[in-house]
Amino acid sequence: MNKMKEDFKLENLPKHNVYQVPEHYFDRLPMHVMERTAGAENKVPTWQRSLWAPLRIAVAPLVLLLVFVGAFYFTLQQQKQDDYFAMHPMAEHEIMDYLNYNEDLETADLAELSYLSKNEFTADFLNISPTAAEEELEYYHIRHLEE
Amino acid sequence: MEDKEILEKFSNPESQNLAFNQLVRKYQQNIYWHIRKMVIDHDDSDDLTQEVFVKVWKNLGNFRQDAQLYTWIYRIATNECLTFLSNKKKRFFLPIHDVAAELAEKIDSSPDISGDEIQLKLQKALLRLPDKQRLVFNMKYYDEMKYEEMSEILGTSVGALKTSYHLAVKKIEEFIKRD
Repeated sequence: MNKMKEDFKLENLPKHNVYQVPEHYFDRLPMHVMERTAGAENKVPTWQRSLWAPLRIAVAPLVLLLVFVGAFYFTLQQQKQDDYFAMHPMAEHEIMDYLNYNEDLETADLAELSYLSKNEFTADFLNISPTAAEEELEYYHIRHLEE
Repeated sequence: MEDKEILEKFSNPESQNLAFNQLVRKYQQNIYWHIRKMVIDHDDSDDLTQEVFVKVWKNLGNFRQDAQLYTWIYRIATNECLTFLSNKKKRFFLPIHDVAAELAEKIDSSPDISGDEIQLKLQKALLRLPDKQRLVFNMKYYDEMKYEEMSEILGTSVGALKTSYHLAVKKIEEFIKRD
Protein backbone atom coordinates (compact mmCIF):
# COMPACT_ATOMS: atom_id res chain seq x y z
CA MET A 1 0.00 0.00 0.00
CA ASN A 2 2.81 2.43 0.95
CA LYS A 3 4.62 1.62 -2.28
CA MET A 4 1.42 2.28 -4.17
CA LYS A 5 1.00 5.60 -2.39
CA GLU A 6 4.53 6.74 -3.23
CA ASP A 7 4.09 5.94 -6.90
CA PHE A 8 0.52 7.20 -7.01
CA LYS A 9 -0.52 8.72 -10.31
CA LEU A 10 -4.13 9.67 -10.83
CA GLU A 11 -4.06 8.59 -14.45
CA ASN A 12 -3.28 5.03 -13.36
CA LEU A 13 -6.28 4.84 -11.06
CA PRO A 14 -9.39 3.29 -12.64
CA LYS A 15 -12.39 5.62 -12.46
CA HIS A 16 -14.94 4.33 -10.03
CA ASN A 17 -18.12 5.85 -8.66
CA VAL A 18 -18.16 5.24 -4.89
CA TYR A 19 -21.65 6.72 -4.42
CA GLN A 20 -24.87 4.74 -4.63
CA VAL A 21 -28.50 5.78 -4.81
CA PRO A 22 -31.57 4.02 -3.32
CA GLU A 23 -33.14 1.36 -5.52
CA HIS A 24 -35.31 2.76 -8.36
CA TYR A 25 -34.36 6.29 -7.39
CA PHE A 26 -34.09 7.45 -11.00
CA ASP A 27 -37.44 5.83 -11.85
CA ARG A 28 -39.18 7.91 -9.20
CA LEU A 29 -37.29 11.19 -9.52
CA PRO A 30 -39.15 12.42 -12.67
CA MET A 31 -42.46 11.86 -10.88
CA HIS A 32 -41.32 13.91 -7.86
CA VAL A 33 -40.10 16.67 -10.14
CA MET A 34 -43.37 16.67 -12.11
CA GLU A 35 -45.35 16.94 -8.85
CA ARG A 36 -43.39 20.07 -7.96
CA THR A 37 -43.65 21.63 -11.41
CA ALA A 38 -46.48 20.75 -13.79
CA GLY A 39 -48.55 19.13 -11.03
CA ALA A 40 -48.12 22.02 -8.60
CA GLU A 41 -49.03 24.57 -11.25
CA ASN A 42 -52.38 22.88 -11.88
CA LYS A 43 -53.22 23.24 -8.20
CA VAL A 44 -52.80 27.04 -8.23
CA PRO A 45 -56.23 28.73 -8.22
CA THR A 46 -57.11 30.54 -11.43
CA TRP A 47 -57.44 33.95 -9.75
CA GLN A 48 -53.90 33.64 -8.40
CA ARG A 49 -52.49 32.66 -11.77
CA SER A 50 -54.20 35.58 -13.43
CA LEU A 51 -52.52 38.01 -11.02
CA TRP A 52 -49.42 39.49 -12.46
CA ALA A 53 -46.45 37.93 -10.61
CA PRO A 54 -44.70 41.22 -9.66
CA LEU A 55 -48.07 42.50 -8.43
CA ARG A 56 -48.41 39.47 -6.17
CA ILE A 57 -44.92 40.11 -4.82
CA ALA A 58 -45.74 43.78 -4.25
CA VAL A 59 -49.10 43.09 -2.61
CA ALA A 60 -47.78 40.57 -0.09
CA PRO A 61 -45.64 43.02 1.96
CA LEU A 62 -48.41 45.64 1.66
CA VAL A 63 -50.93 43.28 3.22
CA LEU A 64 -48.43 42.43 5.91
CA LEU A 65 -47.83 46.12 6.58
CA LEU A 66 -51.57 46.80 6.86
CA VAL A 67 -51.94 43.97 9.35
CA PHE A 68 -49.10 45.39 11.45
CA VAL A 69 -50.45 48.93 11.29
CA GLY A 70 -53.93 47.67 12.23
CA ALA A 71 -52.58 45.68 15.15
CA PHE A 72 -50.46 48.65 16.28
CA TYR A 73 -53.41 51.07 16.06
CA PHE A 74 -55.69 48.71 17.98
CA THR A 75 -53.07 48.23 20.69
CA LEU A 76 -52.57 52.00 20.89
CA GLN A 77 -56.32 52.62 21.30
CA GLN A 78 -56.57 49.94 23.93
CA GLN A 79 -53.60 51.45 25.73
CA LYS A 80 -55.22 54.91 25.67
CA GLN A 81 -58.40 53.57 27.18
CA ASP A 82 -56.47 51.74 29.87
CA ASP A 83 -54.46 54.90 30.56
CA TYR A 84 -57.68 56.95 30.88
CA PHE A 85 -59.01 54.69 33.58
CA ALA A 86 -55.63 54.36 35.19
CA MET A 87 -55.17 58.15 35.27
CA HIS A 88 -58.65 58.88 36.64
CA PRO A 89 -58.99 56.93 39.82
CA MET A 90 -62.46 57.49 41.24
CA ALA A 91 -62.88 58.29 44.85
CA GLU A 92 -65.33 56.14 46.77
CA HIS A 93 -67.66 59.08 47.46
CA GLU A 94 -67.81 59.82 43.72
CA ILE A 95 -68.95 56.28 43.05
CA MET A 96 -71.54 56.58 45.81
CA ASP A 97 -72.79 59.87 44.34
CA TYR A 98 -73.07 58.28 40.93
CA LEU A 99 -75.05 55.37 42.33
CA ASN A 100 -77.25 57.69 44.32
CA TYR A 101 -77.92 59.74 41.23
CA ASN A 102 -79.03 56.63 39.37
CA GLU A 103 -81.02 55.49 42.36
CA ASP A 104 -82.84 58.87 42.32
CA LEU A 105 -83.67 58.32 38.73
CA GLU A 106 -85.10 54.92 39.44
CA THR A 107 -87.05 56.27 42.42
CA ALA A 108 -88.46 59.04 40.24
CA ASP A 109 -89.44 56.51 37.63
CA LEU A 110 -91.20 54.41 40.23
CA ALA A 111 -92.88 57.50 41.64
CA GLU A 112 -94.09 58.42 38.19
CA LEU A 113 -95.48 54.93 37.68
CA SER A 114 -97.37 54.99 41.01
CA TYR A 115 -98.74 58.44 40.13
CA LEU A 116 -100.13 57.03 36.89
CA SER A 117 -101.70 54.08 38.65
CA LYS A 118 -103.41 56.35 41.17
CA ASN A 119 -104.92 58.61 38.57
CA GLU A 120 -107.36 57.08 36.17
CA PHE A 121 -105.70 57.60 32.84
CA THR A 122 -108.86 56.72 30.86
CA ALA A 123 -110.93 59.01 33.04
CA ASP A 124 -108.55 61.91 32.27
CA PHE A 125 -108.88 61.19 28.61
CA LEU A 126 -112.73 61.09 28.73
CA ASN A 127 -112.78 64.15 30.97
CA ILE A 128 -115.50 62.66 33.25
CA SER A 129 -115.41 61.36 36.80
CA PRO A 130 -115.00 57.62 37.44
CA THR A 131 -118.53 57.45 38.97
CA ALA A 132 -120.11 59.06 35.92
CA ALA A 133 -118.25 56.66 33.64
CA GLU A 134 -119.48 53.70 35.65
CA GLU A 135 -123.05 54.92 35.53
CA GLU A 136 -122.74 55.45 31.82
CA LEU A 137 -121.46 51.92 31.30
CA GLU A 138 -124.20 50.49 33.47
CA TYR A 139 -126.80 52.34 31.48
CA TYR A 140 -125.48 51.13 28.12
CA HIS A 141 -125.15 47.61 29.42
CA ILE A 142 -128.82 47.57 30.53
CA ARG A 143 -130.01 49.07 27.22
CA HIS A 144 -128.05 46.48 25.31
CA LEU A 145 -129.70 43.69 27.29
CA GLU A 146 -133.13 45.22 26.72
CA GLU A 147 -132.57 45.26 22.94
CA MET B 1 -35.55 13.06 -27.93
CA GLU B 2 -33.29 15.85 -29.17
CA ASP B 3 -33.06 19.09 -27.20
CA LYS B 4 -34.52 21.03 -30.12
CA GLU B 5 -37.57 18.78 -30.20
CA ILE B 6 -37.98 19.05 -26.42
CA LEU B 7 -37.93 22.84 -26.64
CA GLU B 8 -40.42 22.90 -29.50
CA LYS B 9 -42.82 20.62 -27.66
CA PHE B 10 -42.36 22.60 -24.45
CA SER B 11 -43.45 25.80 -26.22
CA ASN B 12 -46.79 24.12 -27.06
CA PRO B 13 -49.05 24.11 -23.95
CA GLU B 14 -50.61 20.80 -24.98
CA SER B 15 -47.30 18.93 -25.07
CA GLN B 16 -45.47 21.00 -22.43
CA ASN B 17 -45.69 18.46 -19.62
CA LEU B 18 -44.64 15.59 -21.83
CA ALA B 19 -41.65 17.55 -23.13
CA PHE B 20 -40.56 18.50 -19.64
CA ASN B 21 -40.85 14.92 -18.45
CA GLN B 22 -38.58 13.89 -21.33
CA LEU B 23 -36.11 16.59 -20.37
CA VAL B 24 -35.99 15.40 -16.75
CA ARG B 25 -35.48 11.79 -17.83
CA LYS B 26 -32.73 12.80 -20.21
CA TYR B 27 -30.70 14.90 -17.79
CA GLN B 28 -31.57 13.64 -14.32
CA GLN B 29 -28.61 11.30 -13.94
CA ASN B 30 -25.97 13.75 -15.20
CA ILE B 31 -27.31 16.49 -12.97
CA TYR B 32 -27.73 14.26 -9.93
CA TRP B 33 -24.17 12.90 -10.14
CA HIS B 34 -22.76 16.34 -10.79
CA ILE B 35 -24.44 17.52 -7.58
CA ARG B 36 -23.77 14.38 -5.55
CA LYS B 37 -20.00 14.57 -6.11
CA MET B 38 -20.10 18.10 -4.74
CA VAL B 39 -22.43 17.77 -1.73
CA ILE B 40 -21.75 14.05 -0.98
CA ASP B 41 -25.01 13.38 0.89
CA HIS B 42 -27.82 11.68 -1.09
CA ASP B 43 -30.72 13.57 0.55
CA ASP B 44 -29.06 16.93 -0.10
CA SER B 45 -28.35 15.86 -3.67
CA ASP B 46 -31.95 14.78 -4.15
CA ASP B 47 -33.27 18.12 -2.85
CA LEU B 48 -30.88 20.11 -5.01
CA THR B 49 -31.58 18.03 -8.13
CA GLN B 50 -35.30 18.62 -7.74
CA GLU B 51 -34.67 22.30 -7.12
CA VAL B 52 -32.60 22.52 -10.32
CA PHE B 53 -35.45 21.05 -12.38
CA VAL B 54 -38.00 23.33 -10.72
CA LYS B 55 -35.85 26.28 -11.81
CA VAL B 56 -35.52 24.80 -15.30
CA TRP B 57 -39.33 24.49 -15.48
CA LYS B 58 -39.83 28.09 -14.41
CA ASN B 59 -37.27 29.54 -16.78
CA LEU B 60 -37.37 27.25 -19.80
CA GLY B 61 -39.89 29.51 -21.50
CA ASN B 62 -37.30 32.31 -21.46
CA PHE B 63 -34.39 30.07 -22.48
CA ARG B 64 -32.46 31.55 -25.39
CA GLN B 65 -31.76 28.85 -27.91
CA ASP B 66 -28.41 30.28 -28.91
CA ALA B 67 -26.98 28.45 -25.88
CA GLN B 68 -27.03 24.68 -25.50
CA LEU B 69 -29.73 23.33 -23.25
CA TYR B 70 -27.52 20.95 -21.29
CA THR B 71 -24.86 23.61 -20.57
CA TRP B 72 -27.65 25.88 -19.31
CA ILE B 73 -29.00 23.15 -17.00
CA TYR B 74 -25.46 22.35 -15.82
CA ARG B 75 -24.95 26.01 -15.00
CA ILE B 76 -28.09 26.07 -12.87
CA ALA B 77 -26.94 22.91 -11.09
CA THR B 78 -23.46 24.33 -10.51
CA ASN B 79 -24.88 27.52 -9.02
CA GLU B 80 -27.18 25.50 -6.76
CA CYS B 81 -24.22 23.46 -5.48
CA LEU B 82 -22.02 26.47 -4.82
CA THR B 83 -24.84 28.32 -3.07
CA PHE B 84 -25.65 25.26 -0.96
CA LEU B 85 -22.03 24.79 0.15
CA SER B 86 -21.61 28.49 0.81
CA ASN B 87 -24.77 28.56 2.97
CA LYS B 88 -23.57 25.48 4.82
CA LYS B 89 -20.35 27.27 5.75
CA LYS B 90 -22.20 30.42 6.78
CA ARG B 91 -24.81 28.53 8.79
CA PHE B 92 -22.31 26.76 10.97
CA PHE B 93 -19.82 29.65 11.10
CA LEU B 94 -17.15 27.16 10.23
CA PRO B 95 -13.98 27.68 8.22
CA ILE B 96 -13.68 25.71 4.96
CA HIS B 97 -11.74 22.73 6.35
CA ASP B 98 -14.48 22.00 8.91
CA VAL B 99 -17.18 21.58 6.25
CA ALA B 100 -14.68 19.42 4.35
CA ALA B 101 -14.15 17.39 7.52
CA GLU B 102 -17.91 16.99 7.95
CA LEU B 103 -18.26 15.77 4.35
CA ALA B 104 -15.23 13.46 4.77
CA GLU B 105 -16.93 11.97 7.82
CA LYS B 106 -19.94 11.20 5.62
CA ILE B 107 -17.68 9.36 3.19
CA ASP B 108 -16.53 7.12 6.06
CA SER B 109 -19.91 6.57 7.69
CA SER B 110 -22.58 6.71 4.98
CA PRO B 111 -23.96 3.28 3.97
CA ASP B 112 -24.50 4.42 0.39
CA ILE B 113 -20.82 5.22 -0.18
CA SER B 114 -18.51 2.31 -0.79
CA GLY B 115 -15.24 1.61 -2.54
CA ASP B 116 -11.71 0.44 -1.92
CA GLU B 117 -9.39 2.43 0.29
CA ILE B 118 -7.67 4.35 -2.47
CA GLN B 119 -10.98 5.37 -4.05
CA LEU B 120 -12.31 6.67 -0.75
CA LYS B 121 -9.02 8.46 -0.15
CA LEU B 122 -9.40 10.13 -3.53
CA GLN B 123 -12.82 11.44 -2.51
CA LYS B 124 -11.41 12.81 0.73
CA ALA B 125 -8.51 14.41 -1.15
CA LEU B 126 -11.04 16.12 -3.41
CA LEU B 127 -12.71 17.66 -0.38
CA ARG B 128 -9.44 19.47 0.40
CA LEU B 129 -9.80 21.46 -2.81
CA PRO B 130 -11.67 24.76 -2.98
CA ASP B 131 -15.25 24.21 -4.20
CA LYS B 132 -14.72 25.74 -7.64
CA GLN B 133 -11.54 23.75 -8.26
CA ARG B 134 -13.36 20.60 -7.16
CA LEU B 135 -16.07 21.38 -9.69
CA VAL B 136 -13.48 21.78 -12.44
CA PHE B 137 -11.85 18.49 -11.46
CA ASN B 138 -15.16 16.58 -11.39
CA MET B 139 -16.32 17.94 -14.73
CA LYS B 140 -13.03 17.08 -16.44
CA TYR B 141 -12.09 13.84 -14.69
CA TYR B 142 -15.49 12.16 -14.13
CA ASP B 143 -17.81 13.82 -16.68
CA GLU B 144 -15.03 14.04 -19.31
CA MET B 145 -16.25 17.39 -20.52
CA LYS B 146 -14.39 19.50 -23.01
CA TYR B 147 -12.74 22.63 -21.63
CA GLU B 148 -14.85 24.73 -24.03
CA GLU B 149 -18.08 23.34 -22.57
CA MET B 150 -16.78 23.82 -19.04
CA SER B 151 -15.88 27.37 -19.95
CA GLU B 152 -19.44 28.01 -21.09
CA ILE B 153 -20.90 26.54 -17.90
CA LEU B 154 -18.53 28.09 -15.40
CA GLY B 155 -17.92 31.38 -17.21
CA THR B 156 -14.14 30.95 -16.90
CA SER B 157 -11.52 30.99 -19.64
CA VAL B 158 -10.26 27.71 -21.08
CA GLY B 159 -6.71 28.57 -20.01
CA ALA B 160 -7.73 29.17 -16.42
CA LEU B 161 -9.68 25.89 -16.38
CA LYS B 162 -6.68 23.91 -17.69
CA THR B 163 -4.43 25.43 -15.04
CA SER B 164 -6.99 24.78 -12.33
CA TYR B 165 -7.40 21.12 -13.36
CA HIS B 166 -3.66 20.39 -13.50
CA LEU B 167 -3.10 22.03 -10.13
CA ALA B 168 -5.99 19.98 -8.71
CA VAL B 169 -4.43 16.73 -9.99
CA LYS B 170 -1.08 17.65 -8.41
CA LYS B 171 -2.68 18.51 -5.07
CA ILE B 172 -4.63 15.23 -5.03
CA GLU B 173 -1.56 13.13 -5.87
CA GLU B 174 0.47 14.87 -3.17
CA PHE B 175 -2.31 14.43 -0.61
CA ILE B 176 -2.58 10.68 -1.31
CA LYS B 177 1.21 10.20 -1.25
CA ARG B 178 1.59 12.16 1.98
CA ASP B 179 -1.40 10.82 3.90
